[in-house]
Amino acid sequence: MSAVVIDVGDRPIREVHQDIMAACETGQPVRVVNALSRHNLGIGLPPGVDISFDGSVGYFCGGLNTGARIRIERNCGWALGEGMASGHIEVGGRAGMSCGAAMIGGTIHVKGDAGPRVGAAMKGGNIIVEGKIGYQSGFMAHSGKIIALGGAGDSCADALWQGEVWVAGDVDSVGVDVQLLEPTAEQVAEVDAILEPLGLVDSSRNWRRMISGQRLWYFESRDATAWLMI
Amino acid sequence: MCGIAGRILNAPGRVGQDLVELMEAQKHRGADSTGFAVYGVPRETGFVLRGMGFDKASMDADLENFAQVLRDHGSDLLAEPRIVTDSHRHYCFRMEISDPDDMTAWVADADDLSGRIEIQSCGRSLEIIKDVGGARAVADKHGVRDMIGTHGLGHARLATESSVLPNASHPFWARPFSDVAIVHNGQITDYFTWRDRLTRAGYRFLTENDSELIAVWVSDQMKAGLTIEQALKKSITSIDGVFTYMIARPEGIGFAKDRFAMKPLVVIDRNGELAAATEEQAVRRVYRDEGDVINFDGPAMYGIWGVGNRRVAA
Repeated sequence: MSAVVIDVGDRPIREVHQDIMAACETGQPVRVVNALSRHNLGIGLPPGVDISFDGSVGYFCGGLNTGARIRIERNCGWALGEGMASGHIEVGGRAGMSCGAAMIGGTIHVKGDAGPRVGAAMKGGNIIVEGKIGYQSGFMAHSGKIIALGGAGDSCADALWQGEVWVAGDVDSVGVDVQLLEPTAEQVAEVDAILEPLGLVDSSRNWRRMISGQRLWYFESRDATAWLMI
Repeated sequence: MCGIAGRILNAPGRVGQDLVELMEAQKHRGADSTGFAVYGVPRETGFVLRGMGFDKASMDADLENFAQVLRDHGSDLLAEPRIVTDSHRHYCFRMEISDPDDMTAWVADADDLSGRIEIQSCGRSLEIIKDVGGARAVADKHGVRDMIGTHGLGHARLATESSVLPNASHPFWARPFSDVAIVHNGQITDYFTWRDRLTRAGYRFLTENDSELIAVWVSDQMKAGLTIEQALKKSITSIDGVFTYMIARPEGIGFAKDRFAMKPLVVIDRNGELAAATEEQAVRRVYRDEGDVINFDGPAMYGIWGVGNRRVAA
């Protein structure tokens, strides 16, 4: 099926977005060209959409994704997939700061490195980075997994909540109140199940699993006595 | 938010045009005011001054007082000043002056006139043009696109810590050191502590803008004998806050980033020329084709790019 081509260039982003949404409704794949690293492309895309971006994009690409499959040929700026609920975003190059910020579901796969604070405040879903994750990645991650195959920068998993950070390779330093644990075989199998569809399973990896070392109170509890214990 | 930019060319060229493009691309980061620091072909003697007066009604008297202070310090105007006015109450000027006997003493006396008339830059090659409004408006008003030079800085301001005033815009001149300019993205959280300290040491602050602190702080470090590279490195641990700032001199442009990696910087470095900005889409205005982009997004980074004989120190 041939793709609907959308040329970004110097056009107003509002206009480009309207064209992208109209293209999504055709059911055909969508190809966006001349993105010129511009911001706010591919926001709030609906489920079932297959969309690719030639070159690099700017901030917030794939934000609020509700089920689209998004491919970015080269690099993306800050906040890739911010607040996404579902879907799959793949970045061929590098991701900027805070990729997957506040996401609640879906998968982000970055083939290069990722900048600081990967998965900041995420509440679900998985982020896989084949390269190195940047400073303070996993910051305040409430749930979900961040999986880094190429190491992690300083202050990794600082202020982590109930999310998990998995790192293969060197960790420059861990953040405050981080527990660094040897994962069980079952836990590794869970991570491998996430990596398997991406062709990234490698049984020789030496994993570091990071969880919060703090005493946490998760707000699913409706037991008032839990609050009294604080 | 604020956005900053830097541009280096291999030879004197339309650096003003490029800086306007870089700032126009980042206008969403700050619509309050825009500024440019352009390094033109350096003069052998004499200085170029850029400044502003705050009341058109007293412009003639204020300019004469300013000229008298120049004469008191062994300097004088080399040509008729060029004045730029519009519907605003303030006006901007460009002067060419002969060398004062003592730069520090002259600047101190000239700064006594601040509040009425104020130097924004003094340099053999540096000219700082800044004003309220977006990039296009400021560029049109002051003819920035036509400015020829080797390198420069740009800034788009979203005022967060102080008022929207023309002199509170960036870049800031690191007075009294000629040809040193600074642009800053971020907030200095120990601004008042440092301001008190530096005021007691005899420095004067002309605005309430926390970014001005960086210019004064760097001046203090240079006065103490530090090189720019040493000052950049020291600032990361000495100044508290979230910041990425760039400092320009005739030799090139340096940058420093805070310990929290909050404020980005991206660079395209190609064939001896360079474009740097807070956002990649800005540098793509100068380099449209896809290429390698260097992301300085880690914590506690600093570096220098030289003009001509390019080197990067970090």
